[in-house]
Amino acid sequence: MGASDETNSPDDRRAVLRERARTTGRATLLGAVLGVVGVAVLVATGETLLFASEKVFAVGALILGFAVLGWSGSIFAGRGIENAQEYLDTSSNWSEAASRRAMVVLTGLGAGVMVGSIGATVVLDAVV
Amino acid sequence: MISKRFVIKRLLLLVPVLFGVATFVFAILHLAPGDPARVIAGQRASEQFVQQIRVELGLNDPIWVQYGRFLLETVQLELGKSYQIQKGVPVTEVLRYKLPVTIEMALYGQFLGILFGIPLGLLGAIKQDSLSDHLTRVGALTGISVPIYWSGPLVILLFAQVFNVLPASGRIATTFDIQPITGVITIDTLIRGNFAAFQSAAAHLLLPSMVIGIYSMALISRMMRSSMLEVIRQDYIRTARAKGQGARITMMKHGFRNALIPVVTVIGIQFGTLLGGAVLTETVFGIAGIGTLLVSAIQVGDYPVVQGTVLMFAFLFTLVNLGVDITYSYLDPRIDQ
Repeated sequence: MGASDETNSPDDRRAVLRERARTTGRATLLGAVLGVVGVAVLVATGETLLFASEKVFAVGALILGFAVLGWSGSIFAGRGIENAQEYLDTSSNWSEAASRRAMVVLTGLGAGVMVGSIGATVVLDAVV
Repeated sequence: MISKRFVIKRLLLLVPVLFGVATFVFAILHLAPGDPARVIAGQRASEQFVQQIRVELGLNDPIWVQYGRFLLETVQLELGKSYQIQKGVPVTEVLRYKLPVTIEMALYGQFLGILFGIPLGLLGAIKQDSLSDHLTRVGALTGISVPIYWSGPLVILLFAQVFNVLPASGRIATTFDIQPITGVITIDTLIRGNFAAFQSAAAHLLLPSMVIGIYSMALISRMMRSSMLEVIRQDYIRTARAKGQGARITMMKHGFRNALIPVVTVIGIQFGTLLGGAVLTETVFGIAGIGTLLVSAIQVGDYPVVQGTVLMFAFLFTLVNLGVDITYSYLDPRIDQ
């Protein structure tokens, strides 16, 4: 079910958008914390700051890339996959709209990890 | 009539797709073990020389700077130069000669799949539960279940070894020397007016296309059958028949077009799978396309070639899906509203 099916009035739509923005914001914040913790843990275990920064940033980019790809892939082929599942009698309750929403949350998480790792690197570089 | 707004909206979606793929590939390559500078310099190179290469490639910059630079260069279609596969040659140039090989193979395979899949699916739906329907269904399930790495060697064994009627590998007999124009060998031979070379190229393409086509045909025929069965039970079909319209005209004019919509979806998704499956098909049939290029690039750590190849795959896949969407809106004008 898409957003247009769930909402009727502009107020409802705004409320849904606010809720989604909050969820994505929370995921970004969580990502940023994970990014900072990731860099700090790697440095604490004896890795160089360069290595820690590179690996944590890359993990964040991996999540971001996967999520953006999943989001656009859902829009591109989601309806088609829904139809194909229906016609082949292999319906799994997977829907384009739900996939899109999940991917937006993951995008926030990935971006958060990237930003967190940059922040941690800059701070640790200045401190150490 | 296809609305321009619909096409523009779909074209704009290419941006996040390519951004996602670029980011994904960048991340994978930075998480993979191995130092690109060491790969370029060689295992016996001095540390000083390796450091010099690192500075030249900007590998000492913070990773977010590298990421931004990579995205900027990708937007400008600067995919870098090959480290190993063709040292110093721009990746776009490397891909220019490999991409048509894969596209040609996938297109012929898909063509065979559509050519046989749609009529077989229609036959199965029109003569439901007849012997031909059962045979088609068993054939389709077998085709879907047999992977290319198994059906490939089997057809080589049958047609190249037992019957000795078709060549087992390569793109054209070694006696012909065809300089590439488009890179699509069957077209190049025709442009040059060399029909003997064309025959040889077509014969070489037949087995890989057949292997790709079997899988594609199986899925298309199964989809066509299900979709057609659903459409012919609709009220408007019954109404057309009740008004005295002939069965064949009703089926082809009202049923077929509507039943095609889910089939077009499968063809689009299938084409992407064929491109991905090119790695296997090209390996089995010894064809030097983009699939084998990708495998070689991964093995020797030629990162710019890996990045360029994956980006090209993604671009092609999204373009095919765009084509599918446009076909949808042609088949059912309500879709682009």
